[in-house]
Amino acid sequence: MTRGLILLVLLLIPWIPIGDPIHYVLRLATMLMLYMVLALGLNVVTGFIGYLDLGYVGFYAIGAYTSALLSGYNDIPYLIVFFVVILHGCLWGILRGIPTLGLTGDYFAIVTFGFSELIVLIIRNEVWLTRGPMGITGIKGPSMFGYTLSRDWEFFYLILFILTLAIVIIKRMENSRIGRAMAAIRDDEVAAEACGIDARRYKMLAFALSASFGAAAGSFYAHWLGVAHPDMFHFWESILILCIIIIGGMGSVSGIILGALVLIPTTELLRAALLALSQWGTSAGITFISPDIVNARYLIFGIILVLMMRLRPDGLKR
Amino acid sequence: MNWQEVLDRSSLFLLQLTNGLTLGSIYALIAVGYTMVYGVLELINFAHGEVYMMGAFIAYHLVSVYDVPFFAAFAIALVICSAFGIFLEYFAYRPLRDARRLVALISAIGMSIFLQNLALIIWGAQQKSFPYKKLPSLFSSMAFTLGDINLSYLQVFIFLLSVVLMFVLHYIIRHTKTGMAMRAIAQDAKAASLMGINLNRVISFTFAAGSFLGAVAGVLVGVYYNAIWPTMGYMAGIKAFAAAVLGGIGSVPGAILGGTILGVAEAFGAGYISSAYRDGIAYAIMILVLIFKPAGLLGKSVVQRR
Amino acid sequence: MKMLYIRVFILLAVVFSLLPLDLFAQDSIRLPVVSPYTGGLASFGEGVKNGAMLKAEEINASGGINGRKIEIQMEDDLCEPKEASNVATRVANNKDVVIVIGHLCSSATLAALPIYKKAELVAITPASTNPSIGKSSGYYFRTVYQDEFQGAFLARYAVEVMKFKKIAIFYEVNDYSMGLKTAFVQEAQKRGVTIIGEEAYTSATTDFTPQLAKFKIMKPDALFIPGYAPQGTLIINQATKLGMKVSFFGADGLDDVIMLSNKNAEGLLVTTPFLAEAAGGSAKAFIEVYTKKYGKEPNWFAANTYDAVGIAAEAIAKAGANRQKIRQYMVAINSPEKAYKGVTGSTYFDKYGDCLKPAFIKVIKDGQWGSAKEQLK
Repeated sequence: MTRGLILLVLLLIPWIPIGDPIHYVLRLATMLMLYMVLALGLNVVTGFIGYLDLGYVGFYAIGAYTSALLSGYNDIPYLIVFFVVILHGCLWGILRGIPTLGLTGDYFAIVTFGFSELIVLIIRNEVWLTRGPMGITGIKGPSMFGYTLSRDWEFFYLILFILTLAIVIIKRMENSRIGRAMAAIRDDEVAAEACGIDARRYKMLAFALSASFGAAAGSFYAHWLGVAHPDMFHFWESILILCIIIIGGMGSVSGIILGALVLIPTTELLRAALLALSQWGTSAGITFISPDIVNARYLIFGIILVLMMRLRPDGLKR
Repeated sequence: MNWQEVLDRSSLFLLQLTNGLTLGSIYALIAVGYTMVYGVLELINFAHGEVYMMGAFIAYHLVSVYDVPFFAAFAIALVICSAFGIFLEYFAYRPLRDARRLVALISAIGMSIFLQNLALIIWGAQQKSFPYKKLPSLFSSMAFTLGDINLSYLQVFIFLLSVVLMFVLHYIIRHTKTGMAMRAIAQDAKAASLMGINLNRVISFTFAAGSFLGAVAGVLVGVYYNAIWPTMGYMAGIKAFAAAVLGGIGSVPGAILGGTILGVAEAFGAGYISSAYRDGIAYAIMILVLIFKPAGLLGKSVVQRR
Repeated sequence: MKMLYIRVFILLAVVFSLLPLDLFAQDSIRLPVVSPYTGGLASFGEGVKNGAMLKAEEINASGGINGRKIEIQMEDDLCEPKEASNVATRVANNKDVVIVIGHLCSSATLAALPIYKKAELVAITPASTNPSIGKSSGYYFRTVYQDEFQGAFLARYAVEVMKFKKIAIFYEVNDYSMGLKTAFVQEAQKRGVTIIGEEAYTSATTDFTPQLAKFKIMKPDALFIPGYAPQGTLIINQATKLGMKVSFFGADGLDDVIMLSNKNAEGLLVTTPFLAEAAGGSAKAFIEVYTKKYGKEPNWFAANTYDAVGIAAEAIAKAGANRQKIRQYMVAINSPEKAYKGVTGSTYFDKYGDCLKPAFIKVIKDGQWGSAKEQLK
């Protein structure tokens, strides 16, 4: 795994033009790692303790808005903001966890979905707090040690750092008592409790940890885009993150990394490929390739999802 | 409070109630499709909302392009959608029946994205509507008017059709061989197949029936609101799924109850509490119910398979 | 397992390095037009696409820009800030792109804005009305009305011409609708109109009856719908079904051809930047050609994009294919004399890049748009 990550970094370094304010490939790589962090977070609930969470985007939104409201306009050092955001995420993870402890399976899933929709609805409607659909704009980059990040490569290293931190935490947890307890809960909650595992405590821990990962990613996202807007937190994002976990082969860190590597660039690759195809069509004078073909991206994406599941039902890893 | 005000308030109440019930019967029709599939496969069929959308589009296409009479188009759309439901199961879910549940879920999501974009490419993004002249004239007339309250024949039709279909479905599940097989599979698929039940055939039937009801809802919504567009299945699908869970997923009466409650809650929530939080009120009710009744209103708590 | 990793990484590395390349570079000028073409708001993209394509064809038919053909490059952002930022970076990284038309939804525009600013690339939005766009960039220009102006204009019209006394407002929870609503309420209350009720809806809604039933009991003179046409037509239908007898009016968001096929929308008043009767020959010709080509009348998205492409082409022709020079050229379009004369009237920009345009009111009569009986001076 670590070797894989090192390889990734090595492969990407040649494309890091230090000093360039914006860079497309770098931006994609940053987004890729952002989704890895999100998927690692969701995996704590869905992969480790085996509960389907359809509302992960709620924590993502909480993180983004906490961060935007705290440091969007004020000069608070990012480390403090980051810490507050994580605590806030934890708090909501626990708040959501208390009433859902007794739920199983898809009942849990639909409550988490309702929860996240409520969060986004509140963000959209409470204009006095979140500026609602006007969005919070002009969020400054994270400021650290008196320096404010703004260039794409700086954000790249920041998310690389966050991702590394996330992987270390997850890895250490996976091989500890906590990880084994969670695996036991996933396999059979009743049996785990019979063996003396306090399932409620471990589930609560998983909810809090997962939520804080989402919040941390949201915080980065808001500062990176410079905007916080309710449109950024559609239900679809939760689904996308879930897809990463399952496509990679649920439960393992390396599977998640692989899943994100395959899934996140796909839509952008399709964009480039279809655009090239349509341009080739126009330049070669082939009329049946209409310029509208560029809009078939998600059509193809849907087929890819179905086929991937058919061909590798156990995930890409394994 | 004077007389006028009392009258106004009570008619507002009745208006909201009738709207809620119309909305609720549509949610119930879609929710039954979710719940039936869930009952036999424990799969959240995310593409169900898209079948509903396809139903509306096919009927629209037949009526407006090929000039088919409305009820014939309705029937053809239902048949096509049922067949499509069978195909969907065959193509996207059957190969994954032995895999983990979430794998089939992703396959369903993939199908959902695919169908949405397919409709977008075929029919375009613009909102479509049935041509007025080709709809039965009865639909636009009022069945019942009293002061500020009026109920159109269409609303009555939607409500009655849903009730009739629910009774038919109930009969099928309770009193026919296929229905019995469905219940057997829901309890234990492996044991059922050992007893000589043809698993594939029953599952195909379940998908066909669920898609049939979804398509009915799609066409009815298309006529009632006179608006059809490619992403219409998304929100309706999610709401209906929520309704199915609310009622206790896997239980058909539960889905009907859940759909009705959700529809009425939405109407009253938007009418009396806050229109900006309309969906939120429905979700909040759903969450509250599930917290106090963790297996839904009519669901049985069973040990979960994963 | 390890092999699989290495293979995926190598594949990705190769593909990533190919991504930004323009494989079929040719002599034509690339003009990216960014808008949602798929997803829930794809219907808005249709007018944008048609308007842009039509203008590009006309420019090419008359010899292109200084002999070079213009090629519209459709870029889909799904109205999602995430996708918008990807598209913006992609476009900004391509050194051949000197000006961008785009981003419809304000949320997408807001996410793309800092990127264009960093890349010193001018963008013209045909539709985003969020007030913070102009004030925070310097590289963003718009060919669309400002909400404040339009809302106040509608309020004046409602009071002075229509003489409405009690108005109910049914708005969508988005920045366009809420901006219009706020401006309208301010101006209307100044002029002594009672706003008897305000209700909200979200774009995914199809059933508006609960809110409309509430309005019905309040008995307003008119219902103001500062939203978009797909929901607007549903609202009007459902209000009629409920038996509400009120006048409906809205802003340019309701200006769409789907309104015309709705027999309940008869008498609907909307604001528009151009009137076929009042505008010059170019607007009439535009409506004619557009209707003939696409089988329906242009909506405001199409008209605004048509003009945005026109402005972009003129900027490239006059200032040359250079990002900095184009910006200087655009900033210089700052007075009515220097304005670009397009189908939506003369467009010129204030110091924030916001445009100032005249507004008219049009009405649906016998299933056709026509000028309202009276216009405000």
